[in-house]
Amino acid sequence: MDVIRKLENEQMKRDIPRFSVGDTVRVGYQIREGNKERIQYFQGTVIAVRGSGIRRTMKVRRIVAGEGVERTFPLHSPKLAEINVTSMGKVRRAKLYYLRTRVGKATRIKQIFGKTYDNGPADKGDAPSAEAS
Amino acid sequence: MATPGILGRKIGMTQVFKEDGSVVPCTVIEAGPCRVLQVKVKDVSELPDGDQKALVNHGKRRGKHERQRRADGYYALQLGFVQRSGARTKKPDAEHCKAAGVADGGSYYFVREIRFDGLPEAKRGDDLTVAALEGIKKVDVTGTTKGRGWTGAIKRWNFSRQGMSHGTKKCHRHVGGTGRTYSTAKGVPKGKKSPGHYGVERVTIQGLEVVRIDAERNLLFVKGAIPGPPTGYVMIRKSIKLKG
Repeated sequence: MDVIRKLENEQMKRDIPRFSVGDTVRVGYQIREGNKERIQYFQGTVIAVRGSGIRRTMKVRRIVAGEGVERTFPLHSPKLAEINVTSMGKVRRAKLYYLRTRVGKATRIKQIFGKTYDNGPADKGDAPSAEAS
Repeated sequence: MATPGILGRKIGMTQVFKEDGSVVPCTVIEAGPCRVLQVKVKDVSELPDGDQKALVNHGKRRGKHERQRRADGYYALQLGFVQRSGARTKKPDAEHCKAAGVADGGSYYFVREIRFDGLPEAKRGDDLTVAALEGIKKVDVTGTTKGRGWTGAIKRWNFSRQGMSHGTKKCHRHVGGTGRTYSTAKGVPKGKKSPGHYGVERVTIQGLEVVRIDAERNLLFVKGAIPGPPTGYVMIRKSIKLKG
């Protein structure tokens, strides 16, 4: 298994910023339109982070035109251009699937104000760098 | 003629991102280096000069005699993978490997033949690495599946389950009827699929795409799954479905 870990490590991104479940993030994802490439942004709440190593993904949920939209982003995908944490949330669960049954005001998450992640060199060798503090 | 195959060992599975962002599920195989232990030939004349005669031991009284070696009737390379120490080697194996330049009476754990259409370029004692597969797009991988022990017909033969309700009585996962009746009443047909030992079979997965060859570390990435557990020995051959 160690060889696999090592191989994955080589392909993993080192510069994934810290974020955690409950945060509101703005994710830039490269998409292709015909021959043009551009970055599409998707802003929403991180409701789940799963997988380890290169298979790590996050689920972002937002309400678009009254309809809940969830997108899964592979964190180490070359198409994932950027992740910006716009606000930090305070939650007591690892998976916020309960938000799916909620509408309107009830989907709000308690926010942590006046704090940001220490986004220094997040690289900790083979530890998944997307781990929240 | 390029080498159409090599021996290896399954390491495990992972995924690789392609440039367009799509994900390819990959099996990583530690492939080679393999020592060529013997070259099988169609005709004796194709053997190296020193090999055309064989020394035969006729026992104490009649002693040892040289005789013309018999041809194998087909072309192949006999490859050895993962060296075994001399202390763990049987003497006939040690002698066989010694001819291929293996030192200290050692031999190999995994020995298999790779068939060729014509006389292989490689000579006895050569080492084949995964770089020999360079340029091959698809491969067939042969391995031994994981043992599953005594298994019911549902898992082993994809039988259907019986109803969990509607009056089914304690036979939800049973085989069901097996015999024949009336004019063809000869009991259970031969070869009827039934529960039994499952797994530990030789299985070949054909047409696996070669994703990456890492010659430096002797690693081969193929798309998809291959038989057996991690550390299981496998034989990798150029796919027979490939043209040319």
